Amino acid sequence: MSHTGEILSNEVLKDKYCRAVFRAPEICEKAEPGHFVHVMIPSMRDRILRRPFSICHAGGSQLTIVYKVVGRGTEELSRLKPGEKCDFMGPLGVPFSLPVEDEIPVIVAGGYGAAATYMISERSKNKGYLLLGARTEKDLILTDNYKNNGFEVRVATEDGAVGTKGLVTVLVKELLEENKGKNLKFYGCGPHGMLLALGELLITNEIDGELSMDQMMCCGIGACFACVVKVKDNNPDGWRYARTCKEGPVFKASDVYYGRT
Amino acid sequence: MADLRVDLGKFSLKNPVMTASGTFGYGFEYAEFFPLDRLGAVVVKGITVRPVHGNPTPRVAEVSSGMLNAIGLQGPGVDKFLHDDHYMPFLKKSGATVIVNIWGKSVDEYREVAEKLEAEKDGITALEINISCPNVKEGGISFGTNAAKASELVAQVRAATSIPLITKLSPTVSNIGEFAKAVVDAGSDVISLINTIPSMAIDIETRRPKIANVTGGLSGPAIKPVAVRMVYEAAKAVKVPVIGMGGICNADDAVEFIIAGASAIAVGTAIFTNPMAPIEVIDGINSYLDRKKIASVKELCGTVDIRK
Repeated sequence: MSHTGEILSNEVLKDKYCRAVFRAPEICEKAEPGHFVHVMIPSMRDRILRRPFSICHAGGSQLTIVYKVVGRGTEELSRLKPGEKCDFMGPLGVPFSLPVEDEIPVIVAGGYGAAATYMISERSKNKGYLLLGARTEKDLILTDNYKNNGFEVRVATEDGAVGTKGLVTVLVKELLEENKGKNLKFYGCGPHGMLLALGELLITNEIDGELSMDQMMCCGIGACFACVVKVKDNNPDGWRYARTCKEGPVFKASDVYYGRT
Repeated sequence: MADLRVDLGKFSLKNPVMTASGTFGYGFEYAEFFPLDRLGAVVVKGITVRPVHGNPTPRVAEVSSGMLNAIGLQGPGVDKFLHDDHYMPFLKKSGATVIVNIWGKSVDEYREVAEKLEAEKDGITALEINISCPNVKEGGISFGTNAAKASELVAQVRAATSIPLITKLSPTVSNIGEFAKAVVDAGSDVISLINTIPSMAIDIETRRPKIANVTGGLSGPAIKPVAVRMVYEAAKAVKVPVIGMGGICNADDAVEFIIAGASAIAVGTAIFTNPMAPIEVIDGINSYLDRKKIASVKELCGTVDIRK
């Protein structure tokens, strides 16, 4: 179903990262961590497709998305002023499940993947960790917000400017080493390669997790089969393509197919 | 309220608006937006003998006023389509008029799908033979660009089923009229056109094609004038009804196709942007007919005035 969302604020968060807040009560009411909205950005008459954005925060009637300006759609979005309106479909997709009992949430994010997992830190009764990987210091976002929600934040940058030098999986290995025997619940969102590496690392350690995956998306509701990723299947090939918009974006790490074929 | 019913020879529809194959899933996905029985017909995504994985990603890319896709006909296969809850059983319950798009890698595979659908044809109004998918290595468009091969294929499917046949034509032929005649002579009851136009888009930073299949099919408003021209030419060439599609976003677009010669039309890519587009097109055609004081949509078909 589609709804209209009026922009309340739309500001630069840091470098190329922006935060837009919309008045969208119907979507907020149903939004869970990991859901996304499919947004029609006005002012792009020659661009026909909607753009999917993970919901970063949904409280009362206010819906927040955090996005990086990477192309035509996000450039146009960044120019929208308070009072302007967008058409939304959503909330869409399969959400994350919150930690239960003594599960300690461990969020593993790459770049603005930290936006898609943020609601976990808001809504989980147990506090845990954010392990954030990024190319440079400029790509580390929302770290203070996670800290304010009681999460311990550890970062890794590829250039080593902040935190551990290297990939976020290094942080995951360290954390696993420190927390042997504890009931960790892993969540992941970030580039596809990072998620595959994380998923395989978890499986090797006999732990499952929930990974939010995406691909270039089109319809947003499972009709067009554009946004697929490989998941395990009991057919002779051992895998099939699953639609991230409908069957995901959140998949169990144990369901993802890691073969390189 | 104008009369929106259309007659497509062996079958008729309550209104001229269908969904283009591949843009509406199997109906199920859009049923929460509107009742499927409001449509003239639901045309489902291409059905094959066996399940098909489809192409690697990225499968789509946006271009000016359109998009490229190379999904590669991912689908459940005919057995699952006929029996799994989310497919044909759901469509039957919904009361929708169902047209099943079929595809194969060889004549035998097309015939086999048609035979299986013939055996359980309750609830199926017509088959649409896809001889024009540009995104698969075998079958599809290789039949769609060779009139002799296309005729042979249509004749074989015709022999396998009594269900009314629509043949979906490719825009990549030099004489669409001749091609349309060939498939009608071979037993096609209706023709539909156009499928997507083979196209390419490149990321100039990486010099990589924007979709993994390298080339894909162009759809959306960008192709509409091409489609209108081809519907016009095909409708002049054959006596059977023509279903027009290609970039239809609103009722004005739909009316233009009908004036060009289409008896019915399909909304496709526009559904991705606006899931309600097919319903808005139905209502808009009705408003146009009322405004022009035309009693029936049938009267509008092929009325383009080309006097000099």
